[in-house]
Amino acid sequence: MADLFQGVWWSGYALPALTVVVYIFAITVPLLVAVAYLTYAERKVIGWMQLRKGPNVVGPMGLFQPFADGLKLFLKETVIPSGANRVLFIIAPVLTFILAMIAWAVIPFDEGWVLADINVGVLYLFAVSSLGVYGIIIAGWASNSKYAFLGALRSAAQMVSYEVSIGFVLVSVLLCVGSLNLSHIVTAQQTIWFAIPLLPMFVIFIISALAETNRAPFDLPEAEAELVSGYNVEYSAMAFALFFLGEYANMILMSGMTVVLFLGGWLPPLDIAPFNWIPGVVWFALKVAFVLFIFLWVRATFPRFRYDQLMRLGWKVFLPFSMAWVVLTAGVLIAFGWLPTPA
Amino acid sequence: MASLDRTARSFLLTELLGGMALTLKTMFKPKHTINYPYEKGPLSPRFRGEHALRRYPNGEERCIACKLCEAVCPALAITIEAEPRDDGSRRTTRYDIDMTKCIYCGLCQEACPVDAIVEGPNFEFAAETREELMYNKDKLLDNGDRWESELAANLELDAPYR
Amino acid sequence: MPTVKINGVEHEVEAGMTVLQACEQAGVEIPRFCYHERLSIAGNCRMCLVEVKPGPPKPQASCALPVQDGQEIVTDSDMVHKARKGVMEFLLINHPLDCPICDQGGECDLQDQAMAYGFSGSRFEENKRAVADKYMGPLIKTIMTRCIHCTRCVRFVAEVAGVEDIGLLNRGEAAEISSLEQAVDSELSANVIDLCPVGALTSKPYAFEARPWELKKTESIDVMDAVGSNIRVDARGNEVLRVLPRLNEDVNEEWISDKTRYACDGLVRQRLDRPYVRGADGKLHPADWSTALQTVADKLKATEASKIAAIAGDLVDAESVFALRALMQRLGVANIDCRQDGARIEAEPRAQYLFNSGIAGIERADAILIVGANLRWEAPLINARIRKRWLESGLKVGLIGPQVKSTYDVEYLGAGPETLQQVVDGAHGFAETLKQAERPLIIVGMGALARPDGAEALGAVRRLAEAVGAVGDDWNGFNVLHTAAGRVGAMELGFLPGEGGRSVPEILDGARAGEIEVVYLHGADEVDMSALEKAFVIYQGHHGDKGAHAADVILPGAAYTEKNATYLNTEGRVQLARRAVFPPGEAREDWAILRALSERAGATLPFDSLEALRRQMREQHPRLTRLDEAEPGEWGAFGADGAMDASRAFVSPVENFYMTDPISRCSQTMAACTQEILLARGEGQRAIEGGAAHG
Repeated sequence: MADLFQGVWWSGYALPALTVVVYIFAITVPLLVAVAYLTYAERKVIGWMQLRKGPNVVGPMGLFQPFADGLKLFLKETVIPSGANRVLFIIAPVLTFILAMIAWAVIPFDEGWVLADINVGVLYLFAVSSLGVYGIIIAGWASNSKYAFLGALRSAAQMVSYEVSIGFVLVSVLLCVGSLNLSHIVTAQQTIWFAIPLLPMFVIFIISALAETNRAPFDLPEAEAELVSGYNVEYSAMAFALFFLGEYANMILMSGMTVVLFLGGWLPPLDIAPFNWIPGVVWFALKVAFVLFIFLWVRATFPRFRYDQLMRLGWKVFLPFSMAWVVLTAGVLIAFGWLPTPA
Repeated sequence: MASLDRTARSFLLTELLGGMALTLKTMFKPKHTINYPYEKGPLSPRFRGEHALRRYPNGEERCIACKLCEAVCPALAITIEAEPRDDGSRRTTRYDIDMTKCIYCGLCQEACPVDAIVEGPNFEFAAETREELMYNKDKLLDNGDRWESELAANLELDAPYR
Repeated sequence: MPTVKINGVEHEVEAGMTVLQACEQAGVEIPRFCYHERLSIAGNCRMCLVEVKPGPPKPQASCALPVQDGQEIVTDSDMVHKARKGVMEFLLINHPLDCPICDQGGECDLQDQAMAYGFSGSRFEENKRAVADKYMGPLIKTIMTRCIHCTRCVRFVAEVAGVEDIGLLNRGEAAEISSLEQAVDSELSANVIDLCPVGALTSKPYAFEARPWELKKTESIDVMDAVGSNIRVDARGNEVLRVLPRLNEDVNEEWISDKTRYACDGLVRQRLDRPYVRGADGKLHPADWSTALQTVADKLKATEASKIAAIAGDLVDAESVFALRALMQRLGVANIDCRQDGARIEAEPRAQYLFNSGIAGIERADAILIVGANLRWEAPLINARIRKRWLESGLKVGLIGPQVKSTYDVEYLGAGPETLQQVVDGAHGFAETLKQAERPLIIVGMGALARPDGAEALGAVRRLAEAVGAVGDDWNGFNVLHTAAGRVGAMELGFLPGEGGRSVPEILDGARAGEIEVVYLHGADEVDMSALEKAFVIYQGHHGDKGAHAADVILPGAAYTEKNATYLNTEGRVQLARRAVFPPGEAREDWAILRALSERAGATLPFDSLEALRRQMREQHPRLTRLDEAEPGEWGAFGADGAMDASRAFVSPVENFYMTDPISRCSQTMAACTQEILLARGEGQRAIEGGAAHG
């Protein structure tokens, strides 16, 4: 029995694997709780902005509302439409959920607090978030419903369009860092957060993040007035909950990316006491919360875009603008010799 | 110059930021939410809720079967049948309101020459079946008896404006 | 012709017109309460004030002012408007504000005109006048406080109805309309309800039933007597609530009889609303249509044609008679007859069964002989026409038959055939009166014709008509007065015994003797049912009356308000009745029943719709194409020459005016009239005995 915990098998394979599993739980469980409370925060914040109180009945100040909602979704029956492709119909939400989760592998919560500290973190993130569109396309197609299908098409077109400008925004950040490793990106902001020198890029990134996550005012894929609920119209109970979780996890992910790329990750705003007494992970969480608040704030403020305006904005405004800014950034870096040395 | 100004404004997102400032300010204002059903909002004396047929203080029903409410009802929700009562007076034998048809426009109470049919302050009359919303004369008179004090007070408050 | 200027526009009007009539003709409406075209001018409401030049500088009542050449009439000046507003204010001083509980509300002249000329508030601070309500019989409800003393009712009963039962008592503020607490003794009494411009006189049976705006109005034809009054049937849902007159100058002017107006409550009582078949236990059991029709069809197929007979009743429409006749022809049945009272009239020449002069023709007659008819009860509107003619100038009216209270001066000649024979022979003085008359008119009723010697009476009257010159190229004063609304239509369609066929008395005799085995009663309730005990009786009709009791199979049909149908009145005038409501329960339109039966009986009738039926009927009987027209009958020899049975006096077929047919016999209103008007007068003893005989 004791042999089990000895030898190469243990220290070389099992222990690291177990450790990783523990790490994964350490990331996903708080993440899912965060998702739950993001829905609560969304209802509260939008409520306040509309002179309402928001949920306030379940638990003190309505704090247990997310659990009530979750329980409800969990206990309901998953209805699969008779015309649907059953396998894909089930796979779609699972895929969305998994993709929203695995992206977190490369996010650094604090110095060294990262599951996979890989060199191509940004590329990885970019790839995973691009894959997200498959879940949605599959859901729309498998539902065999016109609303779902239209919603999925819109969603796909929108995500693809905005990924292009996000890509250029990333390039301009990478130019300033010289590394694709997210931890390096954070440490590169020791002197100044990129949000300040790259302010226009920051704004474009935030707006594109809204579009990428199908959030208001770019929530056309689930435009209630036109499409009932978009690609997830045929989903119910846990299948729906998975979409929901995935969507909100994506929001948090995008916020995390924003924080890492522009707001200095786990770094305190000023490297002086008492700011640097507070652990980096707390700073990271606060910054993510702030960006999420912006998400909600925007939703409470702006009406929905028209679809053609959305496309126009993506392709005719953001794309040329971000391209131009990449050129400008590169030019400035070369002209002043500020190019980072390869790590 | 104007176009420059406009371009600058649009690039600096002033309108968007202005909007966001407004919602942010609103967020800290006192909230209007009340804790219904434990707390209730104020109702105007003209509030048009559930119908009631009133009586005179001596217990005589007011309705005289003139059928003006039936005629004016745009939703055709009211059905009245009448015949002479034993004492020769004109009374309804049937006064039905289909509350599922009613659009609560208040024309019936405006048409009523004797303030018999009124729309009272009660809006909490949801029922489990449609049948319960087919009100007959007994139900309406019963409503009238139950809400008489409120109805009379509301009519008095509104009287100067009628 | 005088020329007048009305509101600045010149109009030519007839001399002798009043200013109001002239304005009416010019299309200028003048408000009025007391003025009515068919009544004398009273001039007491003062609502019709207009400004007239030349004349005194004050508004004048236009209804009582004759037009004069060169008059200038102004109806829309400030002065006129102010004057009318003043009059309206005076009228409203004592008029209660009880429109919401007033049955006249919605069709009230005062209400309408108060919208135009009324003030929004009253300046009158004293107490309003209150008047005790009066009793005017079972039909007229009075709320006398509402009365504005226009005296239309008084003038109507005195002038048109010809009784003096209503009057104005006292004067000034104490003036009251009253009938001295007696029921108004007239068959036309309820017309005062239509005449009353306010809600003082309203309909008692219809009290508080409905508002005019709720009612579906259908223009139709009355079948309570053979006059064919034009009526409007007002229905709500599937119930006829009231019947009102429609204007037709040639028939009923704008009056209808009380029976026409109020028998409609009989339409919902004692109705046959499902088929019945008499079972082995001798009782009628409800059945479905299929069973009932099959039973009838089997019986018809299994019986020899000579042993089948069909009788058409009094209320039948032309379409169903046509269908029944076609069916019987296909089955080879010759025993068909529509004269269920046994009237001895034949189909040709047509003059022998028509009211040839036309009802309006009465106004041109200058001497009238009535034979065997009680006009007041058999045809109140024809009676009113005679009275109208009589009022105009001295009209001589002679009567042979039952002696009844008349509404005009009548020279009573005698009770029966003897007197008629005397007149025909010229031995009676009245023959001379007729002869001297330019347009003598003779009305012969069913009291003279519906008896075994009816043919002889008919012949005698024909000879008299020819002798006194009542028949000429432009004037035919020979008139037969029917009492059954369906009779003339059935005669016109030839619903009469065919080759070797039996008439009604012969059918009954045959049924008694067992020679007739199947009798098809199409709404026939007035035959002697005891004769049909042995026969298999099929009753098609709408009320559970005598015929239904005697029946072995009952096929429920539609009453006159429930079908689109053609009726011919006693003049032969073709008129269309329209459906106001649907037949109750499983009852169907009569032609459709016969069409369905024909299919099962193996003699399918060649029409599938009422339109197709009418097309065929009009092809075969082109006279029915000409709606609202009465084609005069061609003259010829008719009737028989023999002697009449002098031992029996002429008796009117109507024993009780209020109950003559299945519908009115089921009417509670008519029962109340019998009770309160006839019995109270002591006239009804015979009526009650007669009614008892009817069960």
